[in-house]
Amino acid sequence: MTALPAHDMGPAANAFRKEVRDWLARNWTPEKRAAHQNKPFKDRGWDAEVSRLMGRDGWIGVGWPKRFGGQARSPTEQIVFVTELANAGVPYHAHNTSESIVAPSLFAYGTQQQQDEWLPKIRNGECHFALGYSEPEAGSDLAALRTRAVRDGDDWVVNGQKLWSTGADKAQYMWLAVRTDPEAKKHAGISMLMVDLKSPGVTIRPSMALYGRTFSTHFYDDVRVPAKNMVGEVNNGWKVITDALASERVMIGGTRIATIERAFDRFTEYVKTATVGGKALKSDPLIRDRIGALAADLEVARQLQMRSLRVVEQGRSPIHEAAMAKVFASELQERLGQAALDILGTGGLLSEDAESAPLGEMEQFLRHSLMGIIAGGSNEIQRNIIAQRGLDLPRQ
Amino acid sequence: MEALSDTDRDLLRRSIREFLAARWPAEGAVERSGETQTVTAVWRGLADQGLGALGANMAEAGLREIALAFEELGRASCPAPLLGAVAVNLAFATQQSNAMGALLEDLHQGKASVALALGAFDGDPSAGKAELRGDALSAKLAFVEGAQAATHFAVFAGEGIAVATSDAPGVTIKATPGLAVPSLSEVTFDNTPAIRVAVPRETLADIALMVRLACASRALGAAQRSFEMAVEHAKIRKQFGQFIGQFQAIQHKLANCLISLDGARMTLETAATARDGGNPDWRTFASSALAFAGPALRTVSIESHRALGAIGYAEEHEAPRHFRRVHADLARFGGVQRARAELAEFLLGPAS
Repeated sequence: MTALPAHDMGPAANAFRKEVRDWLARNWTPEKRAAHQNKPFKDRGWDAEVSRLMGRDGWIGVGWPKRFGGQARSPTEQIVFVTELANAGVPYHAHNTSESIVAPSLFAYGTQQQQDEWLPKIRNGECHFALGYSEPEAGSDLAALRTRAVRDGDDWVVNGQKLWSTGADKAQYMWLAVRTDPEAKKHAGISMLMVDLKSPGVTIRPSMALYGRTFSTHFYDDVRVPAKNMVGEVNNGWKVITDALASERVMIGGTRIATIERAFDRFTEYVKTATVGGKALKSDPLIRDRIGALAADLEVARQLQMRSLRVVEQGRSPIHEAAMAKVFASELQERLGQAALDILGTGGLLSEDAESAPLGEMEQFLRHSLMGIIAGGSNEIQRNIIAQRGLDLPRQ
Repeated sequence: MEALSDTDRDLLRRSIREFLAARWPAEGAVERSGETQTVTAVWRGLADQGLGALGANMAEAGLREIALAFEELGRASCPAPLLGAVAVNLAFATQQSNAMGALLEDLHQGKASVALALGAFDGDPSAGKAELRGDALSAKLAFVEGAQAATHFAVFAGEGIAVATSDAPGVTIKATPGLAVPSLSEVTFDNTPAIRVAVPRETLADIALMVRLACASRALGAAQRSFEMAVEHAKIRKQFGQFIGQFQAIQHKLANCLISLDGARMTLETAATARDGGNPDWRTFASSALAFAGPALRTVSIESHRALGAIGYAEEHEAPRHFRRVHADLARFGGVQRARAELAEFLLGPAS
């Protein structure tokens, strides 16, 4: 699939890749793909019907343990899976947060009753969560969050404001981080709630993000959440959040690399054949030099990602390794997006909606790059992690 | 013989590192680099460790082991003449020539030392080309390393390699001082008697590529060592009442360096592993490694110096020699631009 030579991921992963491709060939047909592609950009990526289809055939929870109805696939196979989905442009965002963040938290911290109630719905592709983490005063310093939950009988009563939540305007539930003990040290007073977004007192205000889809500010005014919807012990939420992030980061990384590879392939394919002003782009030595540099960077991004994967497979949690992969790949996306503008010229500004666009997806790719720098922990925070965890440099 | 395991390679790395720590300590390394006899002696010692035969049996010890050895040489700033040895071993190990057999035997014992010139395969148009008429070698070759202490010269010429002894008639060696320490040399051959051994072009090209990877590995070792010094310095040096490693400006600088070092190491390892496993894509992986390592390791070197501050700027400090090594090795053989051009060729096809 990629222009650069592929890395052999081993026989098990190769066999699994074929299985995934076979399913995609039957179920994600060129017609369905084209129909999805014809939707406005903002409506792509999230498709409840596709989620239900994937759920029906067991493609949600490929990495889950078998006792929870998953396929128990290795991290490498999971990467193969997300890569194939990204390459085929499958819209899986509807169930992604439920599958990759909520479910693993339920495995580790959920009660039997919670597992029995929620996991089948998630696995069937019918239960769609969004993440309620960031707040006006709590971004990189997430533990400073102030959205308050106070116990009242069998409910928690929630008041506060969250923002920048992707998919919040489409999801049914919020995976909400709340403060349950304002007196405790900031990491020690946080809990996790699963909130039905149809509850009275919830207001969701979507706004458009630069990359072309919505993210939302959401308000909670005396919202009553059943106490049985708290995951983990009260005030143990920070542990729940961070445990889920570590493994999730590797999978997000896999999707990111697949996205960059796809853009790079399309871009080099264009440069290979395009003629501008009677001159083949590929004959320009400056363009060749630029493409060569980007190709080497892409190879490094792949290597850093695979290293994180090896760490997971060794049973460790990749902390600074995942941070390195994230920093490098997300900044490569910026560089590649900007290089496309330099090489495509003004035409590179045109979006896929403009008929005369030489390669309309690249300007969106550039807009999207900023999200990767910030989401999942800004690159500045990642560099702190690399320095303090990877190099043992002293904290301030 | 079977290929080495990861554990074997760890042992090999440790034994080279211990040997160099004893025989080529940081203290006085700069002075020793200029002493021909001392370099010859450390080469003899390395040959006793088996490094003189590196490249002779690639099924046993392949490109991964070559890269590892060069990384350790770079780390210790040791100018042992391994580059010529590896190239000659790679080219001649399967040849049945008696003359070359004797050379290889001496080489493996550390009695011979070979300086290498890649001629048309160098990648630097100023490196010069060689001409061989019958058994007479004529050439003016620039940027040759290890020429001063060499007993032999191996020169890529046409579809083969010409070997001349350094005391043969018509050989002139002129040191060309500069960033590289010890100096590179300009070597002139004027109708110098040489033995030519035919080697297919593809083999010559592969050897030249492995030589480039070896130099990049040496630069990696040097960059890694200067980085480690910078990290240690940041943990003990106090300014404004705190360790400089607590400043985010220093932390982020060093975090970037770690990404660059790991990226360079993993791409080099990928190329070497692919070659040793018979994967023809190794050449593209090699170009990626070289294209990345060039700018990345030079930046590591510079940023390490920034963290070290003025102390690292003193020539008697260990850091400057790594600065020299990193820049010298990465500028050789066409450097980063050649590697990028190779990747462009792979992705886009020929320019016209």
